[in-house]
Amino acid sequence: MSYIEVKNISKTFRVSKRRSGIPGMLANLVVPKYEKREAVKNISFSIGQGEMVGFIGPNGAGKSTTIKMLSGILFPDSGEITCSGVIPYKQRKNYVGRIGVVFGQKSQLQWDLPVIDSFELLKAIYRIPDDVYKKNLGRFTEMLDMSGFINQPVRQLSLGQRMRSDIAAALLHSPETVFFDEPTIGVDVVGKEAIRSFIRELNAQDNMTMIFTTHDMQDIEKTCNRVIIIDKGSKVYDGALSDIREHYGSSRSLDVEFMTDTETAPIAGVETENIDARHKRFIFGKDVHINDLMSLLLQNYSVRDINISEPDIESIIRKIYSGEGAA
Amino acid sequence: MKDTLHLMAVYTKTTAKAWFQYRVDAVLRSLAVFLREATGIIVIWFTLLKFDTLKGWDIYEMLFLFSLLFLTYGIMIIFFTGLRDFGKTVRDGSFDRFILRPRGLLFQIIFVNSDWFAAIGHGGLGLVLFLLSAGKVGIQWDLFNALYYILTVAGGVLIQGAVFLFLAALNIYLLQTESLKEMLYWNMRKFAGYPISIFNKFIQIIMIYVMPFAFVNYFPAQFLLRKSDMAEYPELYLYLTPIIGIVMYLAAYCFWRFSIRFYKSSGN
Repeated sequence: MSYIEVKNISKTFRVSKRRSGIPGMLANLVVPKYEKREAVKNISFSIGQGEMVGFIGPNGAGKSTTIKMLSGILFPDSGEITCSGVIPYKQRKNYVGRIGVVFGQKSQLQWDLPVIDSFELLKAIYRIPDDVYKKNLGRFTEMLDMSGFINQPVRQLSLGQRMRSDIAAALLHSPETVFFDEPTIGVDVVGKEAIRSFIRELNAQDNMTMIFTTHDMQDIEKTCNRVIIIDKGSKVYDGALSDIREHYGSSRSLDVEFMTDTETAPIAGVETENIDARHKRFIFGKDVHINDLMSLLLQNYSVRDINISEPDIESIIRKIYSGEGAA
Repeated sequence: MKDTLHLMAVYTKTTAKAWFQYRVDAVLRSLAVFLREATGIIVIWFTLLKFDTLKGWDIYEMLFLFSLLFLTYGIMIIFFTGLRDFGKTVRDGSFDRFILRPRGLLFQIIFVNSDWFAAIGHGGLGLVLFLLSAGKVGIQWDLFNALYYILTVAGGVLIQGAVFLFLAALNIYLLQTESLKEMLYWNMRKFAGYPISIFNKFIQIIMIYVMPFAFVNYFPAQFLLRKSDMAEYPELYLYLTPIIGIVMYLAAYCFWRFSIRFYKSSGN
């Protein structure tokens, strides 16, 4: 049963075209020239309740625009969005009370005041009943380990502490759907891990639907079971993260260290790369069985160490972005 | 309704708390605003010591004229700080956050921030000028005149609020309307400190029909003072301030409602 339903949405922005030089600036002033930029082109997908979905794509690919339409900030030019029966940009007040949004780059906390004051303000804004507020506050304070700084002004917090407070702030009203826009940006490794495990735990406990945009593939690998890749305004991939490897990651590699300096004979279907006299890398596609290759090597040469590496997601994504992705 | 009042109280408490984080600065900035505006008045004071009157207006009557300008601005800015700064809110993307909260947009913009420095600086000066002049200009402070005064101050607040709201809505298309505000509002306001009858026809027309500061202070002051130069204008104008305030505000509000649909948030 789909919870969020997106059908053929498109969004075009009119951007003023800048001409260079002083004559160009003057010309802009008198006759501004506009060009159309299609930020989102005919994207469709549906998301089930409780799903965790990551949106990825290079800068300017249209992810932010898509998220902004999903959260009701922007109107799509064409197409339809419904979220549990509500049209976000038409029934704004009804809709936004049921979602939470975390902008990693833009805090919603009161800069000069203790964190708890921002929470109190949100309680009033979202009309959160006392018992719900108390329960959520207690729970998040513990899960995100906020008790040490909840009474400190936001301006004195570290980035990791601020981010945790911001995440709690977006969840106080028990939203059904949460949007995370770069929720770990600038946070150190330990902090990132704490945030990810909190998100996973919360998803398991409350069955919240969660949508992420991030450039950190680790965020996606550790939280989402599904990714939607957007490039140049269009959806280029939608499916399980693990399937990306099958789809795009056609080549694996075997790094071999030999006992002595060794020259190997060419092997069919395998590309050989010399790292140094004793190290070689064998790169092969799906049609070569790893068993066959290994036994061939072990039989013919004296091998000290073998290391198989799967293509890492990040380099596959890089390939997709640069348009090399072949299914 | 109760819930709305509660939220207003929490917003105000939050603003006040943030304000008191910087107590010394708060006092100094209010004082700075007060002194900046008072300087202009002091110049006029000494000028009038030389000339006695300006088209029949003596110094206390002039101060009374000024007091209306400052009082209405002081009250207006308590509610319209968010609209004054709306250009910045749109440019830095904070407006997205307002959209994401289940409350009226204009309500949030109005209550999320109040520039108490400006309010106290301007309003305080207005009050000082009022106290200095009100007893010396021969106004009978009976119930009728007091009521007129209150309604007319409310009208003056709405007229200026409408201009701020209109310019804020214009921000949605232009992203920046500071220069327009400087031209239309602040420059015209400099004329508004004087009886408009001293200016040429062109400036008078602007002050009455384009950026109607004349209804903020000149005509209300005329109602209470009845100076001879009122003969140049229709008698009716003495009573229009609250109506113009309401009409302008409603028009600006409609423009705002219309414009908000065109909002496209700044990309990131």
